[in-house]
Amino acid sequence: MNFKDLLKNEYIILDGAMGTMLQQSGLKLGEIPETLNIVNPEAVIDIHRKYIDAGSEIICSNTFGANSYKLKNSPYSTGEIIRAGIANAKKAAGEKALVALDIGPIGQLIEPAGAMSFDEAYEYFREEVLAGEDADVIFFETFTDLLELKAGVLAAKENSDKPIVASMTFEQNGRTFAGVSVASAALTLEGLGVDAVGVNCSLGPDELMPIIKEFTTWTQLPVFVKPNAGLPDPNSNTYNVSAEDFAESMDKIIDFGTVKLVGGCCGTTPDYITALKAVTKNRVYKKAEYNKDTAVCSGTTVVEISEPRIIGERINPTGKKLFKDALKNNDIDYILSQAISQVNAGANILDVNVGLPEIDEKEMMTRVIKAIQAVVDVPLQIDTTKPDVLEAALRVYNGKPIVNSVNGEEKSLSAVLPLVKKYGASVVGLTLDENGIPKTAEGRFEIAKKIVDRARGYGINPKDVYIDCLTLTVSAEQEGCRETLNALQRVKNELGCKTCLGVSNISFGLPNRPLVNHIFLTMALEKGLDLPIINPNDEDMIGAVRAFKVLSNIDRNSIDYIAAYNEAKPEKPVITSNRVTLGEAIRSGLQSEAAQITENLLTKTDAMSIVNGELIPALDKVGADFEADKIFLPQLIQSANVAQACFDVIKAHLTKNNETPVSKGKIILATVKGDIHDIGKNIVKVLLDNYGYTVVDLGRDVAPELIVKTAIEQNIRVIGLSALMTTTLGSMEETIKLVKSTPELKDCKFLVGGAVLTKEYAEAIGADYYCKDAKESVDAAKKIFSSQ
Amino acid sequence: MIELRSIDRDETLRFLGNSKVKMNSETDRLLNICEKELLSAARPKFLYKTIDINEAGIIQGESIKAHLKNCNKAVLLCATLGSETDRLIRTAQVTDMAKAVVLDAMASSAVEKVCDEVESLIREEHPDEFLTWRFSPGYGDYPISLQGEFLRILDAPRRIGLCTNENSILTPTKSVTAVIGVSKTPIESKRKGCASCSLKSTCKFRKAGTRCEF
Repeated sequence: MNFKDLLKNEYIILDGAMGTMLQQSGLKLGEIPETLNIVNPEAVIDIHRKYIDAGSEIICSNTFGANSYKLKNSPYSTGEIIRAGIANAKKAAGEKALVALDIGPIGQLIEPAGAMSFDEAYEYFREEVLAGEDADVIFFETFTDLLELKAGVLAAKENSDKPIVASMTFEQNGRTFAGVSVASAALTLEGLGVDAVGVNCSLGPDELMPIIKEFTTWTQLPVFVKPNAGLPDPNSNTYNVSAEDFAESMDKIIDFGTVKLVGGCCGTTPDYITALKAVTKNRVYKKAEYNKDTAVCSGTTVVEISEPRIIGERINPTGKKLFKDALKNNDIDYILSQAISQVNAGANILDVNVGLPEIDEKEMMTRVIKAIQAVVDVPLQIDTTKPDVLEAALRVYNGKPIVNSVNGEEKSLSAVLPLVKKYGASVVGLTLDENGIPKTAEGRFEIAKKIVDRARGYGINPKDVYIDCLTLTVSAEQEGCRETLNALQRVKNELGCKTCLGVSNISFGLPNRPLVNHIFLTMALEKGLDLPIINPNDEDMIGAVRAFKVLSNIDRNSIDYIAAYNEAKPEKPVITSNRVTLGEAIRSGLQSEAAQITENLLTKTDAMSIVNGELIPALDKVGADFEADKIFLPQLIQSANVAQACFDVIKAHLTKNNETPVSKGKIILATVKGDIHDIGKNIVKVLLDNYGYTVVDLGRDVAPELIVKTAIEQNIRVIGLSALMTTTLGSMEETIKLVKSTPELKDCKFLVGGAVLTKEYAEAIGADYYCKDAKESVDAAKKIFSSQ
Repeated sequence: MIELRSIDRDETLRFLGNSKVKMNSETDRLLNICEKELLSAARPKFLYKTIDINEAGIIQGESIKAHLKNCNKAVLLCATLGSETDRLIRTAQVTDMAKAVVLDAMASSAVEKVCDEVESLIREEHPDEFLTWRFSPGYGDYPISLQGEFLRILDAPRRIGLCTNENSILTPTKSVTAVIGVSKTPIESKRKGCASCSLKSTCKFRKAGTRCEF
């Protein structure tokens, strides 16, 4: 018997709780339950036997927490405990049941909530998978972070050929602790090619019902359900649902359809399994109806492509000088602000393209994907021409993304489609091939058909292929526009595919481009365009989509349309007189006024005298007020934000006139290795920026080696470090040591700060300036750069 | 279930290091926005468990032993606002740093408030006994490196999604662990005070001339 054979049965009975049983057999407080596999194997085998006697067809090894993070203080290794755990389960099972290698979360949160990287998580899981080679199947259970579970599933698929069952644990609001929705879990895990998906732990069967029902509508895979025996008492940790009531509720759950593997989690015992076995006896498996459209998701948000959805195109360096500069300077915050503003403007999905010849695209792409997913919820479209960049991005992406793109060329099909399949993505198919873009709709349709057929051949659902019939510039090829639209319509009607289209190329070379773009978009929507790729900050474009949805009876009762336009727009401030000076605007936090005053000043004064004569003195005054306790920290920062808006105006002015903004010096900022508190460091960054220093922000949890590398590569000799915890002060010391022992960097100056740091400690570890707050770091920077 | 309905402004200002400044309308507006966003993002969760003092290796160091003098039992508790709060603060750090700073302080004040409510639940369960105030890993010489073990005893990673990283930093970050001693005899009145605090040399409240009321 193997798992695939077992799946042919109507229902499969799993086991109940291991922890509950071990506690009953006298596990001591603080004792690691998995070590019993070695010190008291008989107790563990006895529990397995009881479950098998009760009717369990698959039992889980006692290895839930057996990973090298949780076992770091244990006398036994992960390998020893897992091998013993599988051997115990095998001994109990004999030929009567299959043995699952049970794998739980690592026990520390993955980025961005925690400090564990995707690769670290993968390594922990890989070790477990390899040690569990004698198991019949791998169960991932009780996960709350979808990205951590993805690391586990990939580790299992890449290091074994065993069937995989993956389950998450949801709260009553239908989300995990990490905010993962039921639909995101189902879509992502099915895409990754697991054999069954489901829900375990957290709640009793009654509370889980709506969650399981939702789950069964989002997957075609067999669903796995292991509820707790009700809800726990917070103090005693005992559960409140009896075996009979448990089985009765599970009876209703099985009735939803698609649920195939059933068992119990915390608080359940062999009695519960006996009762469950009785409920499934002689019952014929049924599947719930599945009628979802194609969808993509992040860990938290699903976007069904059942109506036009907007893909934001702004994260792309093509033709954008500021964006290129941001990429070259590692200014991730600039890219994030582009992401947030597009989402606020109404984008449903964001395209992410960071291809620039002079940067390491792979490293930048994974960094940007992680950083964007840490601040916005919408799904992403990974836009790159390089398969290695694509795969790296697909690994760390949390959810089901869109791949942009594949085309009809053999080289592209065979490089991209296997990756789309492996990582369970959707893909944009461009209707071009070795011979370029066919002139006619017929030619483009044929390529679309080829792409869909090839995708199907790789096991990709044709619904997940979104065809782009390609927009050509109408001023160059006027007949092309019709061909694009006709191809789009045929693809939509005859292949049943969703379509996407970049719109703004159409008007290149014409005056009043927005008008042409906006009409073309409307024409394409009418032909059936599902995914317009546009600039969502362009109100006419996004307005066209909104109005289209009203007129096509998609936005029922015009709810979204009214919500978007009914709210009174904040009036643009108009400075009627010169009553407010730049200094006053900065001190009072009046951002748009200050920006406008700056623009006015630029018409009569040169940029540097505004900076040195107005902005810096105003900031100094605010800084002095802060030191004297006249204002508090948010006011200081608000003033800094206002100054930032003025600097942005000045920068844009200089860039327009092909002048380079003058930098007062370059500084690296980082929160040290192991520390994830970065708010203090970010405050410092805002102030240093405003005083005209160029800050290279390496983020949080930064390895000393990266600081050394960056300092050498970018020729920077001033480094600011932050540490918030007594436990991470050691990292600060190590960083300073490593930098100072590097011959090229022995003259580096350090400014340091953080809640637990003292002046004495800062001196002892070799820092040059101890800064008690952000204001002092500006003072330190002034001193350092004026002496150079 | 503990539901947060409001956030203490004075406490927030104290966390910001200054409670005496005059607010302008712009900062007042900021505080209102932040409060609204934080209340909708926060998902307070907590766990506690009573242990026999001699039973567990979790009581280590002179400070905690002095704190638990004459106590026969101790309640281990933990509380968190959840990961959504971290995300809210993280996003604000990109769009508006002033907002991020206020949210950060408000969240610190909110998680303390959750602990206050958990503590009163615990006090209700011990009507005839005497309870100490909350003492956390990191106070005095009570090792912060015990956070992981502390959470494991409470099964906190699985039950409320509260973990530590390798440097004993709690994640989600707006979280607290603490010990409350339970005694059959009245607790000797030991005000907490700065003298017994390990942060006294760097404390931002002390720098600002106030106290955290520890």
